[in-house]
Amino acid sequence: MSDQTIHAPAGTAHSPEVRVNKHKADWRGWKFMWPFAVVFVFVFIVPILYTIYISFFQKKMIGGTKFVGVANYVRLFHDPNFWSSVGRVAMFTVVQVPIMLFLAAAMALALDSMKLHGTRFFRISTFLPYAVPAVVSTMIWSFMYGAKYGLVASINDLFGTNFDVLVPSVLLASIGNIVTWEFTGYNMLIFYSSLSTIPHSLYEAASIDGASEWDIVRKIKLPELKGSLAITVIFSIIGSFQLFNEPSIMQDMVPGNAITTYYTPNMYAYNLSFTGSQSNYAAALAITMAVITMVIAYIVQLKSMKEQMK
Amino acid sequence: MRNTKKFIASAAAIATLIGLAACGNGGGLSATVDTDTANAKGEVVFWGWGNGIKETIAAFEKANPNITVKYSSTGTGADTATALQNAIAAGKGAPDVVMLEDATVPQFVVDGSVVDLSQFGADKLKDDFAAGPWAKMLQEGKPYALPIDSSPEVFFYNKAVFDKAGVDGEAIKTWDDYYEAAKKVRALGGDYYIANSIDYQPFLAQVWQAGSQPFKVNGENITIDMNDEGIQKYIALQQKLIDEDLINPKITNWTDDWYRSLGDGTTASLTIGAWMPTDLETGAAAGKGNWRVAQLPQWNEGDEASSEDGGSALAITSQSKNTAAAYKFAEFLTHGDGAKVMADHGTFPATTKLLEDKDFQSKKNEYFGGQQVNKVLVEAAERKVSAFQYLPYNPYAQSKYGDDVVPAFQGKKTLKDAIAAYAKTLADYGTDQGYTVTVK
Repeated sequence: MSDQTIHAPAGTAHSPEVRVNKHKADWRGWKFMWPFAVVFVFVFIVPILYTIYISFFQKKMIGGTKFVGVANYVRLFHDPNFWSSVGRVAMFTVVQVPIMLFLAAAMALALDSMKLHGTRFFRISTFLPYAVPAVVSTMIWSFMYGAKYGLVASINDLFGTNFDVLVPSVLLASIGNIVTWEFTGYNMLIFYSSLSTIPHSLYEAASIDGASEWDIVRKIKLPELKGSLAITVIFSIIGSFQLFNEPSIMQDMVPGNAITTYYTPNMYAYNLSFTGSQSNYAAALAITMAVITMVIAYIVQLKSMKEQMK
Repeated sequence: MRNTKKFIASAAAIATLIGLAACGNGGGLSATVDTDTANAKGEVVFWGWGNGIKETIAAFEKANPNITVKYSSTGTGADTATALQNAIAAGKGAPDVVMLEDATVPQFVVDGSVVDLSQFGADKLKDDFAAGPWAKMLQEGKPYALPIDSSPEVFFYNKAVFDKAGVDGEAIKTWDDYYEAAKKVRALGGDYYIANSIDYQPFLAQVWQAGSQPFKVNGENITIDMNDEGIQKYIALQQKLIDEDLINPKITNWTDDWYRSLGDGTTASLTIGAWMPTDLETGAAAGKGNWRVAQLPQWNEGDEASSEDGGSALAITSQSKNTAAAYKFAEFLTHGDGAKVMADHGTFPATTKLLEDKDFQSKKNEYFGGQQVNKVLVEAAERKVSAFQYLPYNPYAQSKYGDDVVPAFQGKKTLKDAIAAYAKTLADYGTDQGYTVTVK
């Protein structure tokens, strides 16, 4: 914006009149900005401020709404249900994200190797699960998982085994499988697009210099993937901390209430506000989760930036 | 830049204003309740669910050409209660007439979201309804809703499976008989069980039948007693069934698995409300001809104790601008000619007139092998019901039942501990909501 005048070529910039300009209100920029600014304020800033605002209140069935200060946050801090849900999604993230990104990277490298037939078909078919709404894919998978009437039941019948992938001990892995199925293609596409920016002359030059296919992958392709890796990791962390659709659809399909009302932080917030009418407490939870997620995403980003600087 | 600061300040001010406005109209009480039903006209917005509603509305509009009913199917009882709660919090958007599960009526009375129907003379209809459902509509002696159906807890069983197991369903008179039958059904092997793990509503209905009164609500005071004689009897029986693998922990009510197991008979019986026959016919069509209905087993031989499981009712919201027409419609559907239309579409009625109707009672049901199902259900509806109250935060209690109690059916903890923990959860929530809660 108007700052440009200050950084005008050296020598002329030393006159005092130019300095004054810096403090004079200049509305020209805002004329271009306002369509964005208005939308941004109303769909982004206002909801966040409102959420923060209501998180300082408590609505009681007896006594109505009262200002309670940070009491909701203090209570959240001591809420074992909340921390167990955070722990669950953290564990989910640590296990599921690396598996998914490894598969996505492997697929992208395979597609990019130009040694496969039907590249286009594989590219679109691995991406297709991402286009299926999460609700639908969760229902499809849940029906397959059924140990009594589902595909798992048929497999058990066929081999005389007794698998049940919906028992509480492996349930999180089963959900991870659905999420991996849904999002591997999406991440693959990000990796693939960054691989396709590498000029092919580089590969030719490398192979003339005697580099094997593995050397090309290790020395040219993988370094190129680093940048998109940071993005996919951050997206995936945010995504898995927001885990909601899959467990909440499965809640009604999994036997014995293995999915509790506080299975993930988002489910907990949802149940607090809609079955417990504690929307103020849920607002405190939402803000806290947003902060936790931002901090983690920021740390990951810092770390990856440092890596890239090397 | 200075204007940036101004910008943020004004944005914050707007946000605060919106926040204050949203908090301001929480209750949404309408100033006047129009009770002049004789001259009612205009539009009535109605939220509900279930069979026969559209036909009933058509009959109502024919009889009352000045009133039109705009119906939205809101899915299930829980969804409707959630939607209503949101409309109340927003201060607008609630319908004129809303269908509620009986157990959720108290909470909407407490926050003033539904109106006292005695203003319209509904208190005079007391004798026209069966005692069980009517009792659930009352808060401090005044009716706040009109019951659509009565829902005595009864015993459904799959006769084909029982025959194979050598059990006579008709001869199950006590819970001891039920336990013996459970062992024989389980002896069929495979996935055959007499029942699946108990859901929230059947749980309440069964402890109610055992004479327990877990919740006592008196204004702002709540007493939670999950340790009385009735509950202890219930726990002892269920724990025995769990320990001896006589109850299927892997199937939850209302799931696809549940309906399938009812269809193929691997879940061989149900203790559930009298509204179940239509659900069985549509959800478990494969079981046609095999199912029968009988009275609930008793805790003491010769007793005739009953209880209520579920049921729904119509209430008028305090946001309604057209209460007279709203009441007229609610009265028509529950008590007037509409009740008959509802009954013809599978609703098990709440009015004594329909319950005692000879044609209604003698109707044979092919799904139940030609049994005169209604006769059994009416007998259950007319049995004695002990006093019982729901918590004013029933949806919360229902969702937490799954967290706290259901794991006991999988043997993760004893039912006794689970129910004690559950009582504590409910008490904590009540205290948090401003009630004075006593736990016994």
